[in-house]
Amino acid sequence: MTNGYRYIGKDTARKDARDIVTGKARFFDDIKIPGMLYGKVKRSPHAHANITRIDTDRARCMPGVRAVLTHTDIPRWEWGMPKHIPILDSKVRFVGDAVALVAADTPDIAEAALDLINVEYEPLPAVYDVEAAMQIDTSPIYAQFAHNTYPDEPPSFEPEMLGHIRIGDVQKGFDEADFTIEDTCGYEIFPNPLPPEPPGFIATWETPDCLTVYTPSQSIAQVRLIGIPFIGMADIRAISTQCGGSYGTKNANLTPMGYAAVLAKATGKPVKVYFTKEEHFHSYSLRLGSRVRARVGIKKDGTLSAISGVWMVNTGSGSESGPLQIAVGLGEVQLVLRCANWDLKGKLVCTNRSPSGIVRGYGGQELESSILPIIGRAMEKAGINPVDFFKKNSVKPGNGYFWREGKWWTYRGIDFNTAIDKGAATFGWKEKWKGWGKPTAIHGNKRIGVGVGVHSNADVGEDSSEATVKLTADGRAVVYCCVSEAGLGQRSSLCKMAAEVLDLPLERVTLSPPDTQLNPFELGLVGSRGTYAVGSAVIAAAEDARKKLLEIAAHRFKSTADQLETENGKIYMVGRPDKKLAWHRIMGVYHSVTGEGRFEPDYSLCNFLMTFVEVEVDTETGQVVLTRMVNATDAGQVIAPKVLEGQLHGAFGSAGLDTALFEETVLDETSGRMLNGNMVDYKWRTFADLPDVKNVILETPMPSHRFKAVGVGEIATSPGPSAVLMAVYNAIGTRIASYPVTATKILNALGKR
Amino acid sequence: MQPFQHQAATSVADTIAILSTHKGRAKLMAGGTDLLGILKTRATVAYPKVVVNIKSIAGLDKIQSDGQGLSLGALTRLADIVDSEVIRDAYPILAEAAASVAMPQIRNVGTIGGNLAQETRCWYFRYPHSIGGRIMCKRKGEAACLAVKGDNRYHAIFGGKKCFAVCPSDMAVALAALDAEIQISGAKGQRSVAVTGFYHPLGNVLETDEMITGIKVPRPAPNNRQVFIKHRVRDAIDFATVSVGLVVSMDAKTVADVRVVLGAVASGPYRATDAEAALVGRKLDPAVIEKAAEASVAGAVPLSGNAYKVDITKTLVRQALQI
Repeated sequence: MTNGYRYIGKDTARKDARDIVTGKARFFDDIKIPGMLYGKVKRSPHAHANITRIDTDRARCMPGVRAVLTHTDIPRWEWGMPKHIPILDSKVRFVGDAVALVAADTPDIAEAALDLINVEYEPLPAVYDVEAAMQIDTSPIYAQFAHNTYPDEPPSFEPEMLGHIRIGDVQKGFDEADFTIEDTCGYEIFPNPLPPEPPGFIATWETPDCLTVYTPSQSIAQVRLIGIPFIGMADIRAISTQCGGSYGTKNANLTPMGYAAVLAKATGKPVKVYFTKEEHFHSYSLRLGSRVRARVGIKKDGTLSAISGVWMVNTGSGSESGPLQIAVGLGEVQLVLRCANWDLKGKLVCTNRSPSGIVRGYGGQELESSILPIIGRAMEKAGINPVDFFKKNSVKPGNGYFWREGKWWTYRGIDFNTAIDKGAATFGWKEKWKGWGKPTAIHGNKRIGVGVGVHSNADVGEDSSEATVKLTADGRAVVYCCVSEAGLGQRSSLCKMAAEVLDLPLERVTLSPPDTQLNPFELGLVGSRGTYAVGSAVIAAAEDARKKLLEIAAHRFKSTADQLETENGKIYMVGRPDKKLAWHRIMGVYHSVTGEGRFEPDYSLCNFLMTFVEVEVDTETGQVVLTRMVNATDAGQVIAPKVLEGQLHGAFGSAGLDTALFEETVLDETSGRMLNGNMVDYKWRTFADLPDVKNVILETPMPSHRFKAVGVGEIATSPGPSAVLMAVYNAIGTRIASYPVTATKILNALGKR
Repeated sequence: MQPFQHQAATSVADTIAILSTHKGRAKLMAGGTDLLGILKTRATVAYPKVVVNIKSIAGLDKIQSDGQGLSLGALTRLADIVDSEVIRDAYPILAEAAASVAMPQIRNVGTIGGNLAQETRCWYFRYPHSIGGRIMCKRKGEAACLAVKGDNRYHAIFGGKKCFAVCPSDMAVALAALDAEIQISGAKGQRSVAVTGFYHPLGNVLETDEMITGIKVPRPAPNNRQVFIKHRVRDAIDFATVSVGLVVSMDAKTVADVRVVLGAVASGPYRATDAEAALVGRKLDPAVIEKAAEASVAGAVPLSGNAYKVDITKTLVRQALQI
């Protein structure tokens, strides 16, 4: 719907589209700085070991090698949440952990030098399972974290943080329940969302106290925000290149930055560290492992009376953002499971797996994919259809919930049940749903089943945003807002919002480069905050600039500002469009007019998505195929229709729905090595394997900002996994309580093996 | 990637001379789709000193057919096999198998010779050297097979013993079903080997100074039926979990001759002779088909995590016979 808008709700070409398709856009690999060296990392063969000796002499002597660094050569800078991940250490914590760093004139020389570094290790017992890790009382992975369990302390930027949902009285709730279910379910496949471009950093010390970094980033301001405490409080100027996909991973993982920064310090030169695809798989950010042991009380009418339990989160060898992901996940789960009595506690645990961190879904997808199969068992006991259950129990205006910072919020948005109804009708849910554990149809050896999953997130108004808008005398506008482009198209959408407010041609509105030195503070496109939070700041800045301009114009027109309009860089009095004055006549060519906008966190609005799926299970081969998917959402107001469609099509991949079908990293527990860290054995859906997809997008105005939008944001991937598990159960009549549903699991469940 | 010399060969003799000079330190490159992956990951110990471009050898990419059979030059691209009318007409199983390989980009450069000589996809074997060092194993000349106790979902259900890696070639399955022979040239002259005899548990029979020059396929009996079915996780890109190649010729209503070949279940294309015996001289009725499907996995010894391949094999054999 365009609602009379000039740009909002209409498809316009992305501002970077031509540059991307012609190869002009500058991705990380295109960036070269004069004198730049290349950094490479020597990596551990052990999952857990002390380093007893490192011999770097031969590597140092190799022609073209400019620096070789080990843990004894560098400051003990740490990052992560809490701060605990060193750049290099006297021990290694996963296969692929960094042992030594080399900077050389070429990548090939650096790589060859790695082979000349000899390391001796004292292997330590390794642990990969979350509960096993918690039971270990000797040689923890980090000396400061007994039982490999992280403390419950909130980080410095958030005085309180939700780590435990405590509402009402669960005992009373269980007493009132008609049925109680107790179960454990894990979502522990550690998938890689696999942005096409691997991560990397170029670091160069401008002065001993100021580091400039170039990196393909989803939110470049975070690099500065969390990077400064990491590198001993030196200043950072962070610049994002065009980013070849992130899916959450290129926000807060400072691993390559640490390597580049210490190598740049040691050599006095800019150093580029660009991970290979192998490093991207083994040594960067995977999705968190999640296991829920829960007890659920439900009444016959589908009312949840109590939920209690523990949510165990496996963050692998280090926590990039674990406590905050737990906080957000615990917030989100309350939005889809309304319940008067809660006692659900999160526990963050490290293991010797490859590191896990931020992946879109940010805790919520992990928690829901683990807890919804258990809730499904409760629904079955109560004999309730899952669509009716979610209509009853997902967030409604006036409902409250604790959000990540521990405060109670009341939802003031719209009711999403209309979207659910429209989605169900489009999918044909009524006809296809035959009851729990019952197939929709059986065709020979093919059994068809349907399922549904849901996700909602109050992070649309997460954190703070700042923007300024500069109007120039020639009738153009520059939006200053620190937003990088990771493929979302949001940089163009923000220009559309400003162009709409200023009634300027879109090509006359540009957005500043994603550079922390040029722009006011802006957390960036994390979570689902682009449309509401960032959009609000840009809209406010554009409105402020417009107001200031019209105030100046009021003198010339001998009127008040509110009697004036501006259109295409010219101002006129309402009712007198024949008498227009160009902006330069108003402000003078030696001036510009700047407006400011700011957004403060608001967790009282949510986005929402329900995903309906149909699967076909081959009872002879055990193969499960997704045949149909309907996504249903209410975006408030669509800003860019094609971009939104694209976001929803993202539901399968990037560690989304397909984590229930085939996306997973495979670990060899004997050696601690990841076996499928390559683009063939790591299964990701190709365009040749797309099912029938329909998106149902409603536009019920949301009380957000001027354009009444909340968008969809990151959540497209989140409802899918549990929906597939439900559909498979309905197809074959036997529950599989783990991901993904491999042929072996299906054949076992069917009693064939 | 480490540096290497790149030499363009002008003829088969030239290639063999280069191979002989470098004694195992030279690698042939046609499409390069398999070789470059191994070079980039440095999964194997022996890194070549010389990479020999054989695309420059003229005339080795011909598809020729006569009353006796079909002959394919080693440099015939998979895409050309998919598109060849001669092949589609009389040897459709080859076109189907070729069409199932990877994706168009790979088929446009990948050759039949390279497809047959490609290295296994065993994920222990292919583990990248840059992440803590390559994994040594029997196939690389030292240490035991980690797949036996590890994650062996894609490994062999037949044979193995020391190495449980499977042959990933789809073309080998189809060619074995047609009883094809691989023509090899080397320093000691020319020889020809049946496709089923080309592979052994640790690789193939090529000596370090030998190369594949072509494939000879005998013309199958009239009224034969050819089927290739490939099961895989994704319809695009993936290697086979299990594949079946079937060539059957009928005598009135009973099976006169049949070859049932299984792929991705052993170190080479695996001829299911028990299944063939259950079919010859019989009508293809449901009971016979069922018996043959069961017989196709006779002697299978699945590992801890690949018993599902037995079910898939039986299903594919049944499906192939039902078509």
